[in-house]
Amino acid sequence: MKYIVDIKCLSVYIKGKKILECIDLKIPRNSIFTIMGPSGSGKSTLLRVINRLIDLIPYAKVEGKVYVFGMNIYNVDPYILRKQIGMVFQTPNPFPHLSIYDNVALGAKLNGVARNKDELDKIVEWALRKAMLWDEVKDRLREPPSKLSGGQRQRLCLARALAIKPKLLLLDEPTANIDPVNTRKIEETLTSLKNEMTIVMVTHSPHQAARISDYIAFLYMGKLIEWGPSSQILIRPRSKLTEKFLRGEI
Amino acid sequence: MKRLDRRIIMDRFFKYLVIVISLIALMPLFYIITSILVHGGSTVLKAGISFLYEPPPSPLSTNVGGIGPSLLGTILLMTITIIIGLPLAFFTAVLAVEYPNSIIAKFVGILTRSFIEIPTILIGVLVYTIMVLPMGRFSAIAGAIALALVSLPYMYTHIENALASIPWIYREAAYGLGLTKPKALFHIFMGIARRGIVAGILIGLAKASGETAPLLFTIGGSRHSYFQGLDKPIDAIPLLIYEFAQTPYNIYHEVAWGAALILLLIYLGVFATLRLLVKKVEL
Repeated sequence: MKYIVDIKCLSVYIKGKKILECIDLKIPRNSIFTIMGPSGSGKSTLLRVINRLIDLIPYAKVEGKVYVFGMNIYNVDPYILRKQIGMVFQTPNPFPHLSIYDNVALGAKLNGVARNKDELDKIVEWALRKAMLWDEVKDRLREPPSKLSGGQRQRLCLARALAIKPKLLLLDEPTANIDPVNTRKIEETLTSLKNEMTIVMVTHSPHQAARISDYIAFLYMGKLIEWGPSSQILIRPRSKLTEKFLRGEI
Repeated sequence: MKRLDRRIIMDRFFKYLVIVISLIALMPLFYIITSILVHGGSTVLKAGISFLYEPPPSPLSTNVGGIGPSLLGTILLMTITIIIGLPLAFFTAVLAVEYPNSIIAKFVGILTRSFIEIPTILIGVLVYTIMVLPMGRFSAIAGAIALALVSLPYMYTHIENALASIPWIYREAAYGLGLTKPKALFHIFMGIARRGIVAGILIGLAKASGETAPLLFTIGGSRHSYFQGLDKPIDAIPLLIYEFAQTPYNIYHEVAWGAALILLLIYLGVFATLRLLVKKVEL
């Protein structure tokens, strides 16, 4: 299976308003695929369709077909689908009542990724190392996440998503609210991960898309304007709209 | 400069006004607590520790006796009230928050809230009609059901508010991990909302433990014998205070003051312990 996500004429309406309009998109396996576009273009909605978090939004209607791992997502139990898909959100949202350790361990434990305490400890360490957070928190794993900085919290959320050992990782503007040092660490982590999983990231920054993407899709006003290898989209975009976005004009 | 002075004066005036009004609002509470401490304290000191386990005295006795059966009755009634009321309130609140568009959730929510408006004495009459009359006697279980109905809307409202106020970002994070609704509820949402949930339980319990009206029709006020079974009469401290305060005997008035102090100490003890045990979640 070359494409891990295959979207066919996807339209989404929320309270009757069209948010996405007949999107056709294929996301290649083991790549970093960036969905970029200005605010309100439907990027986050598209991401939430892939793991069916869109189901949580009242009055959301989805049309078209979405295949993830070769399965039609509406023929699969959403909980089983989400167990295989990690997600990191725009605002760092570690669970405030759990310790740093438990934040990372919870998903792995409840989803049956770890069978015993030793395995769980190993997964937690692996995920925190991947998120470049281990050295900063290894001596205070029992502390609450409120003791961490904003960037550290976001890397904790990345570790939490990685600990469920996903085949697909979704990131919704993960560096929008954090400083450049933490942004660099997250981007390095993502680059190191693409051999192990497929990464789909939403961003409004063409610079970030240029730094890490293998493929880029440009979304504007709910429509997919174009998508392709990042070099082609960034250097020789086919659409005037993409050009304007890259120049910061829209 | 003049304008600034005026602003500072207004600010101070407003601050002192708020403090004075707050103190006026608290005065009745101070008065009640002080009266209970003074009158109740003297009774408890006179009776000693036996006040907690002995039965009440006879009206012409010089010995204060105790409130043993009533204290035990209050503790048992509160325990059964929580066992009956908390699951009902909790799962009704979960239904309302997790399935907000469901007609059943809306109906149950409105019905539960409407219980707040009903005078508690009517809840006593209701339980009297559906339980006491068919059983042919007053009972602990009838009292506990009446108190559970009294506390239900308070617990429900607070637990619902606590669950509904969990920020959306944590809901997305929980479901994004692949957690099912029950797992997300028990491992994430209850943990984040724990302080609000405990506050709801305490408010419901406080409301129920201070109620007299529903007990008048349900428990029978059996204050000279200890617990004999859920289907047998029982007593509770509020009922003892209510009935003893109306008698012409000074010794009963003394016992009522002492009982009021014990009830106050139970409140403060339970509230303070739970507040200390359940730590605040820093979002």
